[in-house]
Amino acid sequence: MKFRHFALAATLSLTALAGSAQAQQSVTMWDFFSGGDGARMKALVQAFNDSHPDIQVKATTLEWGVPFYTKVRTSVAVGRGPDLMSYHLSRLPLGLSEGVLSPITDTDLENAGVTKDDFFTTALKAAEAPDGTLYAVPFDIHSIVLYYNKTFLEGSRFLDADGKLTGIDSLADFEEAMQLAKDKGAEVPLTYATADDGGVYRVFYTLLAQEGGTLIDDQGNVLPGDSAQKAAEAIRIMTDWHDKGFQPEQALYEASVALFTAGKSAFQLNGVWEVPTMKDFEAQGKLGFEWGAVEVPKLMQTRTTWADSHAFAIPAQPEGKPMDPEKRKAVMTVIGWLETHAIDWAAAGHIPAYKPVAESTDYAKMEPNATYAPLADHATYDPRSTIAGVASPAYDAALNIISPAIHGYLSPEDAVTQMTQELQGRLQ
Amino acid sequence: MAMIRNKTRHRLVAYSLVLPFVAIFTLVFAYPVIEVIRLSFTNAPLIGAGDWVGWDNYIRLFSDRLFYISVKNNGYFVLLTVVPTTVIALLIALAVNRLSGRVQALALVLFFTPYVLPVSVVTQIWAWMLDFQFGILQPLFTAITGKPVPVFRNPHWVMPAVAVVTIWWTNGFNVLLFLAGLRNIPGELYEAAALDGATRGQLFRRVTWPLLWPVTALVLTLQLILQLKLFDQVYLLSEGGPFNSSYVLLLMVYREAFQLNHGGYAAAISLVVFLLIVVVSVLQYQLLRIGGGRK
Repeated sequence: MKFRHFALAATLSLTALAGSAQAQQSVTMWDFFSGGDGARMKALVQAFNDSHPDIQVKATTLEWGVPFYTKVRTSVAVGRGPDLMSYHLSRLPLGLSEGVLSPITDTDLENAGVTKDDFFTTALKAAEAPDGTLYAVPFDIHSIVLYYNKTFLEGSRFLDADGKLTGIDSLADFEEAMQLAKDKGAEVPLTYATADDGGVYRVFYTLLAQEGGTLIDDQGNVLPGDSAQKAAEAIRIMTDWHDKGFQPEQALYEASVALFTAGKSAFQLNGVWEVPTMKDFEAQGKLGFEWGAVEVPKLMQTRTTWADSHAFAIPAQPEGKPMDPEKRKAVMTVIGWLETHAIDWAAAGHIPAYKPVAESTDYAKMEPNATYAPLADHATYDPRSTIAGVASPAYDAALNIISPAIHGYLSPEDAVTQMTQELQGRLQ
Repeated sequence: MAMIRNKTRHRLVAYSLVLPFVAIFTLVFAYPVIEVIRLSFTNAPLIGAGDWVGWDNYIRLFSDRLFYISVKNNGYFVLLTVVPTTVIALLIALAVNRLSGRVQALALVLFFTPYVLPVSVVTQIWAWMLDFQFGILQPLFTAITGKPVPVFRNPHWVMPAVAVVTIWWTNGFNVLLFLAGLRNIPGELYEAAALDGATRGQLFRRVTWPLLWPVTALVLTLQLILQLKLFDQVYLLSEGGPFNSSYVLLLMVYREAFQLNHGGYAAAISLVVFLLIVVVSVLQYQLLRIGGGRK
């Protein structure tokens, strides 16, 4: 009797489970967001799940960089990939050459409730293949910005009446400001991660882009034409900062951030993703100085900054086994919802790639984000090349060649020659 | 009749005993090796098939500047580690051998502990100790060279530094081998030699060293093979830099395969590394045997 009772209950509950499973779409998502970004993404996914009983997102965070992209590549090859994944747009060219991405059609966008015009052109272009097919939906634009500590600039021409950074329109201005900070007791006037691939690469690439130089052109030439001289000039400037004691020696990422938060640096060139760190420190009263962040000033000939985007992509499906249209629709619903709720993501410092959010009044009230947001319009993305982008040979070269050069182990010209040889070799 | 049946049974038993080994060997060694050879003649990505490209990968490898830099660095690292670690292990073993009982066990534990640690822990310990800003060993560098040295970012220091870390990490095992060798030398030999008036130096040169030679040759060969396979320490400490001063062959394999998705090319490099290790270690072992035989 008891057993029959149990069996009945079990059957009933199983039927109930099967019933709910049919009605509910489950979307597996892989991302590489850790730290503050990770917490925000988890909160977004949670909010989505709470408001959508019919779609459940199961998000897994994997290790950033080469491990993430290797896992994507292998899992897609055997048809066991996720339904949705985060992707760096700078990594898109390699993704396309590997064939791991599924094109995003107009129907898909319709299902997400967004259109191409909703996105910043720079980000959208980076999400497209050379033939114009869309392969990812941009989520944000992240760049490096110039953080400043007002203590060192007070009473100088570099702060305006509102206490905002002003008057830096050339390299000479910037160096004058750094000298001023040094004289006022800044241990290292400008901090960035001088012994880290990303830290060095982003500063170098920004300077190169401001000079109008090209790292790799569309034909696959590394530092074509006079770009080689421009690259040498960028390295020379960074070396000069080192020689004058403006920047820290061999600073790893954490150390470079700590120099700024501890009030030992007047300026920091680092990603927008450190904005939450600054805000948290300020809220806890641990900062001890007033700060701001602005778009990297025009130090060379052009106003531009290195940028990259986090985006959402759908892995390519095995041949003859396309994704169930209902599921694909659910995936696009998730993407659309995340785009329209990107204001929470913007709190992590990133500029939303989705213009309705980036141009909203909520965003305009967000500081210093709104101040540096205009950089989105004239950002320079990484070269469209399989060897550029995050965790790529171009980043490796920054650590392997540029970093030693700015510490005086190589001349800028030798560094450029080695870098050209090395990257050109990888392009074969 | 019975004999024949016995022979058949005998053979069957033999086969059934050998079979598990042959099966596992084929599955995890022979098949992958054949696959690597096949793959090295294709332009395959990391996963999936590619087209046959003949000797292209090898032609490209032998004209790749990075390949020669890597070979040179591997050679330099072997010079920095193989003989020094053997000498140090021998000295430690001789010293430990003079101890006895609990003290000896304690000394052995102390020397063997690093060997038990995983490579990530070892490199983390040393990265902290040698950290440019906060490393506790930096005052030592300041005392000697006058300023702190970013050892893993300095082209002259990086390989010696990785070598020191490696020797510290792996030496315990060599000490054990030498200790076992020393214990195998009969005590009577020392007594007899001492009766004949041999000095401490003569005891070592005439008794210990020749009788320990087979172990020394083994340690040297094992070390050579191990150190040619250098990857983890470099990947975790210097990532091959600065400007390729610590770039080694296996790092090249890793970057080509996992970062650039060039499965075929990576297979060609790893096959060359494999052949290099086989040739060099067989050559070394033979040389050492001849050297030892003369004594």
